[in-house]
Amino acid sequence: MMGFILADLRRFKGGALAVVVLIALSVALSVAVTLQERAVRLGSARAAEKFDLVVGAAGSETQLALSAVFLQPSPLPLMSGAVLEKLARDPRVSFAAPVGFGDSADGRPVVGTTTALVTALSPTLAEGAIFARLGEAVIGADVPMRLGAQIKPMHGAADSGGHTHVELAYTVRGRMAPTGTAWDRAILVPIRAVWQLHGMGAEAEHGHDHGDEAPDGAAAEDHDHAVHVEPDAALDEHFDAETPGIPAVLVKPKTMGDAYRLRQEYRSETTLAVFPAEVLTRLYATLGDARSLLLAIAIATQAIVVAAILLVTIMHVGARRRQIGALRAFGAPRRAVFAIVWGELFLLLLAGFALGLAIGYGAAWAISAALASATAVHMPVEFTRADLSLAMWFAALAVLVSIVPALSALRLSPAAALRA
Amino acid sequence: MLALDIAALEMRFPGLDTPVLSIENLHLPAGGGLAITGASGSGKSTLVNVVTGLEPATRGSVCWGDTEITRLPTGRRDAFRAAHIGLVMQDFHLFPGLSAYENVVLPVRLARRLKPGERERALHLLEISGIARPGQPIETLSRGEMQRVAVARALLPKPGVIVADEPTASLDRRIGGEVADLIVRLARAEGATLLVVTHDPALVERIGRHIVLDGGRIIEDAGKAEAA
Ligand SMILES: Nc1ncnc2c1ncn2[C@@H]1O[C@H](COP(=O)(O)OP(=O)(O)O)[C@@H](O)[C@H]1O
Ligand SMILES: [Mg+2]
Repeated sequence: MMGFILADLRRFKGGALAVVVLIALSVALSVAVTLQERAVRLGSARAAEKFDLVVGAAGSETQLALSAVFLQPSPLPLMSGAVLEKLARDPRVSFAAPVGFGDSADGRPVVGTTTALVTALSPTLAEGAIFARLGEAVIGADVPMRLGAQIKPMHGAADSGGHTHVELAYTVRGRMAPTGTAWDRAILVPIRAVWQLHGMGAEAEHGHDHGDEAPDGAAAEDHDHAVHVEPDAALDEHFDAETPGIPAVLVKPKTMGDAYRLRQEYRSETTLAVFPAEVLTRLYATLGDARSLLLAIAIATQAIVVAAILLVTIMHVGARRRQIGALRAFGAPRRAVFAIVWGELFLLLLAGFALGLAIGYGAAWAISAALASATAVHMPVEFTRADLSLAMWFAALAVLVSIVPALSALRLSPAAALRA
Repeated sequence: MLALDIAALEMRFPGLDTPVLSIENLHLPAGGGLAITGASGSGKSTLVNVVTGLEPATRGSVCWGDTEITRLPTGRRDAFRAAHIGLVMQDFHLFPGLSAYENVVLPVRLARRLKPGERERALHLLEISGIARPGQPIETLSRGEMQRVAVARALLPKPGVIVADEPTASLDRRIGGEVADLIVRLARAEGATLLVVTHDPALVERIGRHIVLDGGRIIEDAGKAEAA
């Protein structure tokens, strides 16, 4: 039976291949859409889960969340340093780490923060040690630098016309373990070094007031002044009311209840508190709509392809009336004829489905890999149980669809078929 | 081997006023031979179709031995034909992509497993039919060889009856003669009842009994005495 089916398929190689490829492409489209949407959603949810609560200056919630989770370069408004002081003292907070964005090195974000955040991101370092002096840095797992390397930070990003800070070069002291988040691409440095480079804070003699509207935790025009940063100065992670303005504070509340209370309290005229995971969920609702649309298109394509294939096979059965009639005339039972016509089409549909799965998976994997190399956010391309039921549906549909031409083959009278 | 009994058989097709086939009575003893001739359109193939159970009769009965094939439902008719009737057609109806041997065993293999010895029988039938290489792809055979393979296929399940519809009409004279000889020889050797539609006088001569159809009726039945 199988031998006959295969011999028959070999005879109609071209047509069989066309059917397989058509099915494969249409299946690949829906597989890729499903997997990719899931990968983006899971990947960024995992990237966000390390950041329970983010407090920033009043402004866009989305921007605050995206900046903290993905280190997306965007000008965030500054909030008063007093907020950091208050959060750091709060008994409901296990740690509150300031983050200062705005500098970059080789296209990688240089983020000013404290040792608490480094420890939270990577409880044990992959190598080296946490920064202990102003001129030291810890790099993310994906940053291709060695311990001891020098990093010259650049204000802004090179492609948006930044300039290099000549006053200070950081020395890489340690490397974090991979976190699967955008922070794997980041270079973490002491927040006070960032402030001083930008002429902010108590150490900056001029003491002029950087208004809350100054972008990036940077005093936009002041770097040309000869600011001196002492690279060997010890860290001071004690923040008081004199603390300079900062774009965001990452907060680890002690309990879930604390998290909600803190978010409530810091939603005020001047500050904003968000759960990044929640903001992302809202964004994905939009993404989900796009997925539904794409999926609907993919399924419609499949329906058209299946209809076309049905038409072709029924015509094919017509063209093979003689062969089918002869099979029965020479003693093949009807169930064998049915099985042959059914089996051939079912095999083709199955082969197309399998190939489509592979192509779709490959495409999603390639897209995820490209996204991961651009953002460092690990996007897991994986199948879930829900997919199994989808596959079952496809199999059931394939069984049904391939029955149609098989039935039409059964209806042929062998005598009439032989006469034709 | 099986005897054939036809009684009050009528075949009509929708839209035709007169029956295409109308046979009051025909008896062929088990192991006997019957040649059927007649002009084109006289109903020869229709007769073949109805006695082999490829088409249901409009009226009347066709019996092979104790089995009244005209009363069987389609599936049982198919099964009866597969088990008892070896068919050879003008067009060989072999399946490209398969070898000579695979073509011989295909109908049986599609119905069931090969019985022990059937493989050897298939190879033996091919050999005595003059096919030297059983593994040769069927489409590379000559037309004469193809019909020989079809004859071997018809004989594999040891049918009690062999029915051939113009088996030599698409072959040239010499090759046709050889194939005709093969059919008669094998049918005799196997003791099968033989029914052949043919225009070949030599073949008619060898079979002995001979009916002529015209307009679906038997207008001549010769050589009955010798055959009986
Ligand atoms: N399915 C059918 N429907 C209508 N007419 C048919 C059908 N099959 C055969 N006939 C007619 O029956 C007659 C006998 O056909 P056939 O038995 O094939 O003749 P032969 O084999 O003797 O040449 C022809 O006139 C043919 O047109
Ligand atoms: Mg005919």
